[in-house]
Amino acid sequence: MAVCIAVIAKENYPLYIRSTPTENELKFHYMVHTSLDVVDEKISAMGKALVDQRELYLGLLYPTEDYKVYGYVTNSKVKFVMVVDSSNTALRDNEIRSMFRKLHNSYTDVMCNPFYNPGDRIQSSPGGPYFLCPYPVQVGPTSCVRSSPGGPYSCVRSSPGEPYSLCPIQSRAFDNMVTSMMIQVC
Amino acid sequence: MLVTLERGCHQGDELGLGLPSFPIDWSSELFTLTYGALVTQLCKDYENDEDVNKQLDKMGFNIGVRLIEDFLARSNVGRCHDFRETADVIAKVAFKMYLGITPSITNWSPAGDEFSLILENNPLVDFVELPDNHSSLIYSNLLCGVLRGALEMVQMAVEAKFVQDTLKGDGVTEIRMRFIRRIEDNLPAGEE
Repeated sequence: MAVCIAVIAKENYPLYIRSTPTENELKFHYMVHTSLDVVDEKISAMGKALVDQRELYLGLLYPTEDYKVYGYVTNSKVKFVMVVDSSNTALRDNEIRSMFRKLHNSYTDVMCNPFYNPGDRIQSSPGGPYFLCPYPVQVGPTSCVRSSPGGPYSCVRSSPGEPYSLCPIQSRAFDNMVTSMMIQVC
Repeated sequence: MLVTLERGCHQGDELGLGLPSFPIDWSSELFTLTYGALVTQLCKDYENDEDVNKQLDKMGFNIGVRLIEDFLARSNVGRCHDFRETADVIAKVAFKMYLGITPSITNWSPAGDEFSLILENNPLVDFVELPDNHSSLIYSNLLCGVLRGALEMVQMAVEAKFVQDTLKGDGVTEIRMRFIRRIEDNLPAGEE
């Protein structure tokens, strides 16, 4: 279960960052930012060897007391960074690898969307129609609406009294993939 | 998409006419991406969605009037006796040949002059998500134009429009086809 997933562009600015909102999000943003140095180090270290042999999955970038940070770089220098809870010892390396592969597949699907301009943030601008993320968050609106993608809104509540958050819906498939990674191991 | 090429419908030269096998082995993703680039360019050129829809229809019409010749040459189907046969040929032969999908035909009107083509998956819209500022864009409107143009060249005036679209949140894509009249005069169909 990831607590934070980030997609960083080649020029090292974030294309997409999402973390479970129970924590201070700024902390995760900072962790991702510092991990970029480690990523660069790993890429350049391997660059001295044959470039062909460089694997996309970088492995554990660095551990902190509460979290572990994993990295993955595509051949177009787009980086994926995943922060997982250290207490979750059940997560094995090959599971993380498969999560990254799924993330990479979702990312390429986003790129193939003709309405997406490469280099844009993977989100629509705020103010557009929203759907509700199915995980509990800090205090948000308690009215229970969830939209089917693009369609009319209908009233759904997964559990009574559960507050919801709002997320923009442009890259729905990508968002859904990330949501599923935060809820369970893929 | 990362992994394999898929869905290239490799039909050989069954008629023995020396035609190249169709489609020439290319990835359906290239086709989808090309169509996507076309639609986004049109959106940039024309400010509003209605104009883009009309342009797609026009382009589809021009494709259709030419595609019908290719279709008739490759598929060797005979003359259809009624609209139902036409519907069958469109769904089972034409769509299969050019897009690799077989839509189902439903919702015949009582008079037998309207039917619906239900497309479970539409290869044109793989990976596409409509942004909010293009909510009235009919992304696959080219298909309606193609159907209209092709049928006009075989002396049938029809109307084709989308009534359901997976891009707008519906479960399936549905094209409603309506027979208007048989075209009696033999003047070539003019382009708009």
